Amino acid sequence: MRSRDLKSGLLLLAFSAVVLYESLRIGLGTPAKPGSGFLTFCAAVVLIGLSLFLIHRGWNVREAKMTHSRKVILALAVLIVYSLVLDSLGFIVATFLAVAALFGLQTSRPWWVVLALSALVTLSAYVVFGVLLQVFFPPGLLGI
Amino acid sequence: MDTLQSLGYGFSICLQPMNLVYCFLGVLMGTLVGVLPGLGPAAAISLLLPTVFHLSGVSSLIMLAGITYGAQYGGSTTSILLNIPGEASSVATSFDGYQMAKQGRAGPALGIAAFGSFIAGTFGIVALMLFAPTLASAALRFGPPEYFSLAVMSLTLVTYLTKGSVARSLAMACAGIIISLVGLDPITSGSRFTFGLRPLTDGFDIVLLAMGLFGMSEVLANIGSSSKQAVVVSTKTNVRDLFPNRTDWSHSAKPIARGTLIGFFLGLIPGTGNAIPTFISYAMERKFSKYPEKFGTGVIEGVAGPESTNNAACSGTFIPLLSLGIPANPSTAILLGALMIIGFQPGPLLIESHPDVFWGLVASMYMGNVMLLVLNLPLIGLWVRMLKIPYSILSVLIILFCEIGAYSINSSVTDVLIMNLFGLVGYLMKRYDYSGAPLILAFILGPMLERSLRQSLILSHGSPAIFFSRPVSLAFLLLAIALVISTLFTGQRIGKKAIDMEEA
Repeated sequence: MRSRDLKSGLLLLAFSAVVLYESLRIGLGTPAKPGSGFLTFCAAVVLIGLSLFLIHRGWNVREAKMTHSRKVILALAVLIVYSLVLDSLGFIVATFLAVAALFGLQTSRPWWVVLALSALVTLSAYVVFGVLLQVFFPPGLLGI
Repeated sequence: MDTLQSLGYGFSICLQPMNLVYCFLGVLMGTLVGVLPGLGPAAAISLLLPTVFHLSGVSSLIMLAGITYGAQYGGSTTSILLNIPGEASSVATSFDGYQMAKQGRAGPALGIAAFGSFIAGTFGIVALMLFAPTLASAALRFGPPEYFSLAVMSLTLVTYLTKGSVARSLAMACAGIIISLVGLDPITSGSRFTFGLRPLTDGFDIVLLAMGLFGMSEVLANIGSSSKQAVVVSTKTNVRDLFPNRTDWSHSAKPIARGTLIGFFLGLIPGTGNAIPTFISYAMERKFSKYPEKFGTGVIEGVAGPESTNNAACSGTFIPLLSLGIPANPSTAILLGALMIIGFQPGPLLIESHPDVFWGLVASMYMGNVMLLVLNLPLIGLWVRMLKIPYSILSVLIILFCEIGAYSINSSVTDVLIMNLFGLVGYLMKRYDYSGAPLILAFILGPMLERSLRQSLILSHGSPAIFFSRPVSLAFLLLAIALVISTLFTGQRIGKKAIDMEEA
């Protein structure tokens, strides 16, 4: 398995290449009058150097395969979907579903306990933040 | 006399009933965060950062600051009773504290930890009160070159003192600078790195970055961790047991004094954080001891020194924060973000232009320390029971709190998405051994670095000699260069042992 230095070095190299390109596009200015891209250009150049160093350091290193927990991948997927549907489904529905999914991922309790707990957490959050602290949540499907 | 008058003014602000309530809430939450492993003070402050939009500026700062020093107290309880350090800064305490608990001396260990913390914390606040205004007046003479060099030195120190690879830390500092400059250029008003996306026009919000990198990522990493929840054994304590006897005090007096000084002065240095000084204090106590071989078997000096150190360090970090606008660690970086959100310009003018913020905060720290002493001793049983809450419930509540916090800033679902993406980045950083500290500090210092660099070069007509021709600027840069060179030549850092012992 490729080393963490190699993989992260390649990722940082790609990131710094984009930053370098964009910095040049927006303009470096002159030493007497530095432009908008001046500091980001400098940071990107240093980052390229560091990325190459990390790639070099990790080139011949082999590490045990890094596995990401299935739970974490699913939790992240739930959260990304939550941010995408929050507006259309509304706070209460989207939060209830997301909380139920997150509880379900981590506990082996019966489904009705998970649903009851999710409903309790969602309603408590709505009362505390939506009613008492007056955060304006998206109304969505339920209209509240 | 002026200082006493100003402190009196600070107390008149802090003693307002609502501010007392927020101070109490801050230290209570700080203690809770210190007790719970897997949720650091930076994560807790970031979770509560959205409150600055709903509370008055001073109140929210009092609460957020309460979390930073409250966490130092909380960490000691579980370190001593259960050998579970809630914070990296409590790891050294567990070496002898837990052994004392096993020998039936948990009471004196907890007592000396609380009293030592109180003494060190109070000394730190007095020093903060005396040094910060003086440093701020000196910093009023700083021009753009000095600020540029100060930012460079701070970033170098942070990368140097962060656990793990220096190259990775430096890479994170560069990434932090780049991310901080997304949005409109303050000089030309042109947009940069927005790629046509409107939500990026104002740049990334510190709240979203901090919650994602510290709050979400910690929870995600814990969800993925296969380690089981700590097994909590029942420990019976009562307040009478908690008071150290005369011998304990005589053994602890010098370690407390030394720990206070070490912690305070190391706390001033950006990047040292609160954990590194505790290991230095522990090593120093062992060196000074007549029976160094007994360290690790339950000697009270091993608890008194590190516990005093971490509280003094915590107060020390407030000096560069409030007088120069330079954060020393992620927690203070997020506090600095809170100051900026509220509309206060951190730096030497803060104390002069907003004395209510500075003196109100200082006075609240006195009150907070007293509250912590009163809170911690009788509530030890409660804190231990808190560890029994299943992490599956706690993690979902923290995640929900992050989501709502992100949404409440601008009532925008895009912010929620951005925060979740930062959570993903933070999780990957943890898995790939990249520290978040250099990134968040660079994110905070990036705009200052850019402004001072561009102003300096305009002043000098493009000559970089301006940074080396002014003594203060030169001193800052020489220190930064010396650190880099020492790493390159020796291949390792000064204090590497202490840095490596720190849990990121």
